[in-house]
Amino acid sequence: MSDVLRTLDARGQACPQPVILTRKALADGGFGLLEVLVDDASSRENVARFASYAHCVVERIEEEGPVSRILIRPMAVGPDQPGRVFARPEPAAPAFPAAKAETVLIAAAGIGGGDEHLAALLMRAFLYTLTEGETLPVRIILMNGGVRLAVEGSESLINLRRLAERGVEILACGTCLEFYQLKDALAVGRVSNMYEIAGLLLQGATLRV
Amino acid sequence: MDYLATFASSHAALRAEQVCRGEALPAELIPLPSQIRGDCGFCLLLEGGGEAETERRLQRLRSLGAVALYRVRVDQPSPSSRKVKSYERCP
Repeated sequence: MSDVLRTLDARGQACPQPVILTRKALADGGFGLLEVLVDDASSRENVARFASYAHCVVERIEEEGPVSRILIRPMAVGPDQPGRVFARPEPAAPAFPAAKAETVLIAAAGIGGGDEHLAALLMRAFLYTLTEGETLPVRIILMNGGVRLAVEGSESLINLRRLAERGVEILACGTCLEFYQLKDALAVGRVSNMYEIAGLLLQGATLRV
Repeated sequence: MDYLATFASSHAALRAEQVCRGEALPAELIPLPSQIRGDCGFCLLLEGGGEAETERRLQRLRSLGAVALYRVRVDQPSPSSRKVKSYERCP
């Protein structure tokens, strides 16, 4: 199995199609090495980043003129599923091209200091506006008081759900949920930890709200 | 058909939302679309509902100080293209 090579020709495909095709190929499995051909820089970076995020090894990236050849080795997760990846749930690809900021970090239930009610209102308005936007972040990370936005009874829950439906991954800090005794109340997204969060914050452009 | 109700100030929109909530009248407080007015503010969004129910809700919003009501039009030239919203002021 480890010698089987599959080629995915994503040349000429507009972003995020190469990532979607790569994800599908990795999910289907049945090969030891996946060769993805793309012909623009952002697709090359997005495919390589996605592969790393999906616990694969990006063995090599070769460039020949405008064409990049990305060699991805999936990590087998079990003897009966050779080559299949995704030990954890993967985010759906955004329906629209990702925004410049890949990650939005929300570390409070409101935006800014001042009046608490206004701060909460601004956060609600911000999340609603994201749902209406053409460009979406890849993920939203909720920490500290920000985890309160993703629990039952939150006025922002509906907008976080809308964003999740459009492929934005919602990650909530597990320590924070535990601290506020909200671990069982998380109603959208999934629980994450500091190792993953720190890695994601360092991985690409982050907007802190 | 969805509607938007605008108010004289953000405070007025907030007060109206509170009343609607107390009366279980579904109205979502959202940022004022920039096509309606360029400055910052809030308005109330009424989604769905039958004709009679919508009319009742709009009447209630008028009585709560709504200064203008807008019909929300959603256009999508093709299934793959982005939805574009426009706002038509009601008489």
